[in-house]
Amino acid sequence: MATIAISGKGGAGKSTLAALAIRWLSENKRRPILAVDADSNVNLNDLLGVSVKETIGNVREEMMAKVSDLPGGMTKQQFLEYKIQASLVETKAFDLLAMGRPEGPGCYCYANNLLRDVLDTLAANYAYVVIDNEAGMEHLSRRTRQAIDSLLMVSDPSTRGIATAGRISRLVAELDTRVTRKFLVLNRAADPPSPVLQNAIGSEGLELLATIPEDGTLLEMDRQGTPIWSIPASTPALQAVGRLMTRLDLV
Amino acid sequence: MSKIIATRAIRGAHTLVARAGQELQRALEDKGPGARVEFPNTGYYLPISYGMLGLKVETLGGLQELLEEARRLLPPVPGDALWLPYLGHTMDAGMAALFADEIIEAIKYTRDPVPYLPETRPRDGRLWLGAANDVIMRERGIEFVDGTAPGFAACVGRCPTNEIAVRIARELQEKNLYVFMSAATDGQSMAGQLAEEGIEMGWETRLVPFGDDVTATIHALGFSTRVALSFGGAQPGDFERVLRYNKNRVFAFVLAFGPVDDEKHAQAAGAINFGFPTIADTDIDSILPSGICTYEHVVSPVPHDKIVSKAIEVRGLKIAVTKVPVPVPFGPAFQGERVRKDEMFVELAGTSQPGFEFLTTRPLEEVEDGRIEVIGPEIDDVPEGAQLPLGVWVEVAGRQMQPDFEPILERHIHDLVNMAHGVFHMGQRDVNWVRISKEAREKGFKFRHLGSIIHAKYHGEFGKIFDKVQIRIFTREEDVLGLIDRAREIYRHRDERIGSLTDEAVDTFYSCTLCQSFAPNHVCVITPERSGLCGAYNWLDGKAANQINPVGPNQPIRKGQPLDPVRGQWQGVNEFVHVNSHKTLETFNAYSMIESPMTSCGCFECISCVLPSVNGIMIVHRNYPGMTPSGMKFSTLAGTVGGGVQTPGFIGHSKLYIGSRKFISADGGARRIVWMNKELKEELAPVLQRIGEAEGLRDFPGMIADETVATTEEEVLAHSTSMGHPALSMPLLF
Repeated sequence: MATIAISGKGGAGKSTLAALAIRWLSENKRRPILAVDADSNVNLNDLLGVSVKETIGNVREEMMAKVSDLPGGMTKQQFLEYKIQASLVETKAFDLLAMGRPEGPGCYCYANNLLRDVLDTLAANYAYVVIDNEAGMEHLSRRTRQAIDSLLMVSDPSTRGIATAGRISRLVAELDTRVTRKFLVLNRAADPPSPVLQNAIGSEGLELLATIPEDGTLLEMDRQGTPIWSIPASTPALQAVGRLMTRLDLV
Repeated sequence: MSKIIATRAIRGAHTLVARAGQELQRALEDKGPGARVEFPNTGYYLPISYGMLGLKVETLGGLQELLEEARRLLPPVPGDALWLPYLGHTMDAGMAALFADEIIEAIKYTRDPVPYLPETRPRDGRLWLGAANDVIMRERGIEFVDGTAPGFAACVGRCPTNEIAVRIARELQEKNLYVFMSAATDGQSMAGQLAEEGIEMGWETRLVPFGDDVTATIHALGFSTRVALSFGGAQPGDFERVLRYNKNRVFAFVLAFGPVDDEKHAQAAGAINFGFPTIADTDIDSILPSGICTYEHVVSPVPHDKIVSKAIEVRGLKIAVTKVPVPVPFGPAFQGERVRKDEMFVELAGTSQPGFEFLTTRPLEEVEDGRIEVIGPEIDDVPEGAQLPLGVWVEVAGRQMQPDFEPILERHIHDLVNMAHGVFHMGQRDVNWVRISKEAREKGFKFRHLGSIIHAKYHGEFGKIFDKVQIRIFTREEDVLGLIDRAREIYRHRDERIGSLTDEAVDTFYSCTLCQSFAPNHVCVITPERSGLCGAYNWLDGKAANQINPVGPNQPIRKGQPLDPVRGQWQGVNEFVHVNSHKTLETFNAYSMIESPMTSCGCFECISCVLPSVNGIMIVHRNYPGMTPSGMKFSTLAGTVGGGVQTPGFIGHSKLYIGSRKFISADGGARRIVWMNKELKEELAPVLQRIGEAEGLRDFPGMIADETVATTEEEVLAHSTSMGHPALSMPLLF
């Protein structure tokens, strides 16, 4: 199984990259794919053209609210397993799991521990897992023991954006999450990037995997609210992500 | 006894000991004698040297002593003139090889990066898992205790084709055996072959890739050595007991695939010390007469389609394989697989359709054994992607059958159905959900096979409590809706009954000596208000199990004359415990951890121990690897509590027991709890809150310290004092 996590600050284009990556994997017969929407603010499901009925956050809250009297005389473990299995959005191209709202106040250790077991068992059924993450990585480390092969940190072509990516990169090193490789991806950027940006990348100690060009088709897709499957195969951004995925060499 | 085999094993041992010496020399030059050496998260040091010699190796320097021991054991390679005897020498050479293995493997853990994954399964194309930590060892060891897994097959080398490797792995899995894989031949190993075929491996599927080096075979024997130390009560250094225990209790064998070189011969010789025979597919000669192993020691050549059954026969293993008549592979290893939508042919019940599973008792004349009816469409009557309702209505009859057993049998539908490859089952009662894959359907799986699984497995596992079982499967909405209300009425009735059982209300408890195979003097006494310490057995389970097997490990205990109602001591229970602990225990108190407490095997979910200066107790559960205020981690505490010895101030118990009215009630009950590891505390927070409220305490969970506020006894005392914990004003514990 190969796990790709995508991170970056809001607006950098994380979800778009995740959606493009999922389309590429699917069209290149790299299946089965599990898409994980782990950013409570975004809409990976919209980009993928599916709607979400139930999120893991809701399941977790429901379980925590019930002390006993779970339906069907089930234990909490059975209940959680059932509900998570049932919350999966399934399509021909991929399955989607939405993490949903973040934790409220209170302790979530027990709930998260159950979640980790269930999610890890579920993820083991897929050849590729693509995680659209929030900016920080804390929640990921709390919710799964899954190792991450490739962490893609997305940034806009600005010195400040690259500095943020550098910060994420250092943060990841401190967290209890196993990440094999970390790469920077510059979105809406020229290839090669300007010398100023290249300097910034170097001084943050980042490795640039690929740049994705500014792409009118994507802007139009966002404006119309159509899913990733609507853009033509020749779209430059999609082509760039294809090259990026090939470079990751996940097979 | 073949001179060829003995010579090769002894020569292999020489090679391995020499290699260990060189690698140790290099490591010492590199890192110095003080560098730490350890297998990850274990309280058993390097298990072979700890178990056999009592050596606590913690540094590279410590390995030197082990190396010298290995050199001392090495017999000379037999010359042309020497003919007899061989077996003793060969076994010494085998043991020397194992010591050398352990040295080489330990040195691997000093490398950066460590060549082994810390997880329980392969990832990212990296296969090798190396030594199992103590959490895995306990979790999996329990399966050896309760018979879920009868033993393991240590597979070395490679099969002639990937297809054969997969077939043998599946066959071992179906027999519930663990498959431990190591030692590549010509750069390829059985684990590598399974990986090429996309077979999922890891402790969860019982296919465990230890390492490609021949020395990684040590992790299989290290595992079984720790089982003897942990569950068998063997003392470190008591090699005779460790080895005898393995011979008698751990049903393991070596399967050697492909050419067997000298080093692999040496491993086989090492395994013979444990009573584990070697079965090979190539002709490596044989050691047939029995002596150390129960039957033959080395058997070869054995064809691949016979090798598993031959190994089982040679090891003297009894596996009750109930061949389940379904057209798909079947076994516990297939639990946990999801049938994804793109693989799915049909979905039953779940979120979009009604469903239930219900089991009831009928008079004998109304049940026809093995009758399975599908009422409504069969799988071939519906299109791909169909969603249908599902009612599973099971009727059993038998002279021994009682209403108490109904929910137990019913609950097993989940794990039994999940064992079929390509069948996914979730939930129970009226929250059930089944998917059947296209692959399973193509192989001929039908709805009626759900009934076949229930019929076959019920007879296999519960045949003693019932005589006949018939199953009706409903797939039409009106039938399912018509029956679901009847089922719900009974579910409600059952829940009320279970909640109201008390120790006082019954005159019989049940024993559990399931673990005596591992802790020979331990006796669990299961009462309605105290479940077995492993958490798996409650009183009803004990009662049911006794009906299934009247001479089995769950015996009725008549309480008899009460001797001390507060501590929970009865004449009948004392006598039972005395006899069944082989006269090591005189008295037994059900409700005290201070005076004559219940003993433990090693399978406990939690350990409670007294913190004297706080006048209270701490509780830690099995998955918490950190330090506790007692100054001991779970694994160290487990060594103190386990093995069937009464240790005043310490008990092992289930999670459930903490919420019982009878939880150490003679010592003051749950009010004594001053520290719990956080995860356990959070899990039990509602229970603790309820206990506190009954005592007039507003925030009892908050009064209990956890590792975020206290990891020493002093810190627990400080927290308890500042929170006004009730334990501080209770009578002294001692």
